[in-house]
Amino acid sequence: MAQMGLRIARALQPVAQPVLALAATLAVAAALLALGGHSPADAFGALVQGAFGSWNRFLSFTLVQATPLLLTGLAVAVAFRAGAWNIGAEGQLLAGALAGVALAISWPEASALVLLAATFAAAAAGGAAWALVPIAMKTRMGVGEVITTLLMNFVALFLAQFLVQGPLRESRGVFNMTDEIPAAAQLAPLFPGTRLHAGFLVGLLLAGGLWLYMSRTPGGFRVRVAGASPRAAVASGRFDPARVVRWSFLASGAIAGLAGWIQVAGVTGRMYEGLSPGWGYTAIAVALLARLHPGAIVISAVVFGALGAGGGAMQRDAGVPEAWVRGTEALLILALLAVDRGFRAASKGDS
Amino acid sequence: MISGSTKQWRAQRHRIACWTATAVAACGGPSADGSDNPDPAGSSPSVALLTSGPVSDAGWHAGAYEGLQRIGDSLGWRISHQQTRTPAEFDEAFISYAEAGYGLVFGHGFEYQDAAERAAAQYPDATFVVSSGSRAAANLVPLIFRLEEAAYLAGMAAGGVSRAGVVGMVGGVEIPPAKGTFLAFGAGVAAVNPEATVLETFTGSWDDVAAAKEAASAQLRRGADVLIHNVDAASFGVFQAVREAREQRGRAWAFGMNRDQNAVAPEVVVGSAVIDIPALFLQAAVAWHEGSLRGAPRAGLASGAVDFVPNPALADVVPADVEARIAQARRDIASGALEVPRIRYLEEDTLPAASPVQPPPN
Repeated sequence: MAQMGLRIARALQPVAQPVLALAATLAVAAALLALGGHSPADAFGALVQGAFGSWNRFLSFTLVQATPLLLTGLAVAVAFRAGAWNIGAEGQLLAGALAGVALAISWPEASALVLLAATFAAAAAGGAAWALVPIAMKTRMGVGEVITTLLMNFVALFLAQFLVQGPLRESRGVFNMTDEIPAAAQLAPLFPGTRLHAGFLVGLLLAGGLWLYMSRTPGGFRVRVAGASPRAAVASGRFDPARVVRWSFLASGAIAGLAGWIQVAGVTGRMYEGLSPGWGYTAIAVALLARLHPGAIVISAVVFGALGAGGGAMQRDAGVPEAWVRGTEALLILALLAVDRGFRAASKGDS
Repeated sequence: MISGSTKQWRAQRHRIACWTATAVAACGGPSADGSDNPDPAGSSPSVALLTSGPVSDAGWHAGAYEGLQRIGDSLGWRISHQQTRTPAEFDEAFISYAEAGYGLVFGHGFEYQDAAERAAAQYPDATFVVSSGSRAAANLVPLIFRLEEAAYLAGMAAGGVSRAGVVGMVGGVEIPPAKGTFLAFGAGVAAVNPEATVLETFTGSWDDVAAAKEAASAQLRRGADVLIHNVDAASFGVFQAVREAREQRGRAWAFGMNRDQNAVAPEVVVGSAVIDIPALFLQAAVAWHEGSLRGAPRAGLASGAVDFVPNPALADVVPADVEARIAQARRDIASGALEVPRIRYLEEDTLPAASPVQPPPN
């Protein structure tokens, strides 16, 4: 009898822990909101309504906000899988956006198809080029990539500032932004009447492709081995893990570069100084929450996109100021991590 | 002479207040007890504001937010605000507000232009106002601030105050509105003292107090004895540098910008080039409700919402003859007889001239 009770308790434990974590975090978030004089019910209601209230909201707000996070999340995961700690997705994103914009506005006479291919290639090359310096310093000089990729972010930020204030400034020469890219270079909406652009589809295809590559191909296996145990890889004598790391790192930069250009081609139509609010950094949370699994990154990015879209609605419809919104979002992300951790611990306990 | 100028300033402020009050009454807004519904058909109008920075900046964004609150308080309308972080959120917010029935949406900054244009085409029943915007349509209204007109008057005062003949300008990010105020300020200095040298530095930041102070100190070391800033939240650094220079050399003055900063550092700020954003927002809302918000309203000295406000505590610093010339220039600019040099960053030639920001009937 007593054993039975113990067994039930043990069976419930993996469920109870994450549920408790989620409930506790929601309670803390609600208390914080109430402390600020905001109705938690209104605030959470607005959050859910803003992100999932209608198909159009889900497509036009949540998925549009998820797109750059999906792409940068994949970029981070590709590098992390191979054991390269690329903290530079932010800079690679900006470099890709700059390369794409520079090409698009200087080549307006190109046909849509040519321009599409050329700008995507330029953006990927721009992002990859931004990863080259950290790769070279890592492999030639042994300088840790965490610091070099981080520093390259600042270089990209200032380069973007310089370019939109100078050589790439709009032809009126007034505001700090580029000219609008030609219509041929812009990504069309996936569904008429919504804002969701083809960039999200690119992200989905990329996620699917990476998933297959990582799990089904020898190349993907080598990446995983190189990341999990480079010494085992060397000992196997079958491939050079350093080479695999270099290529993964380069691919990571290229994907982040695509993220930047897709944001310009699908949403803004121009390059601004403040194009990214830090997607390249949020991407690390997106990728880690998904445990670097390309399929899970899609879900993780949509969750973050929903928080972003719902956060806007919290401001508009519940009158919660930006700072409280971001605080609540951070708490919810922590709760998700706690839940995830709880399930993971539970599943390990089972095996 | 001097007290006359101050009195004129007070009268002007009074005028802004009365004008706002009469405008509100004229539009059939709520009476003082707030019992009247401005829209007899049913629910009251809704107004929304988008800013791309925190409304706690005590400057550009704060002024807009105060304007929104004033619309809510004095007209009894429903108000809402969102701070946007990315261009993707610009569209999102415009669409959401238009779909939620907000009739008037302010985007506070040129960065909202593209998104507001898209939203205006999609939602013809809502009106979109873009601060410092550059294009107009039936329901898309750029609100143009002519702070440079006040900066010109401040420049005249600075030219009169400076004995060294060197005047400095410390700016934040080098954008046309900021450069325009300096262009006009420099022209004002030259109008009074054609021999004067004008120094210009941009720190690249609106809120880096240390950088602003460093830039100000460098200009003071180069011989400037009067400084003006356009650095928003970092202005404290400029005033502090002037205070320290005065301790060392005995003579240094500063001018405020954007808001009335005379009380921020009353012992060094001779006067401020002021723009009353809250009053302008309220006027725009009232004009919108009356159906007269069209074209591209320009808010300059003539509107009363932009002005050079001398610091009453330092009224004797500006020479009396310069005071008189400032008063004359103020009239000439308001009447159009004197045109202040400015950067033509708005596609003004293509913008209709209709303006609800009219001088008040006296």
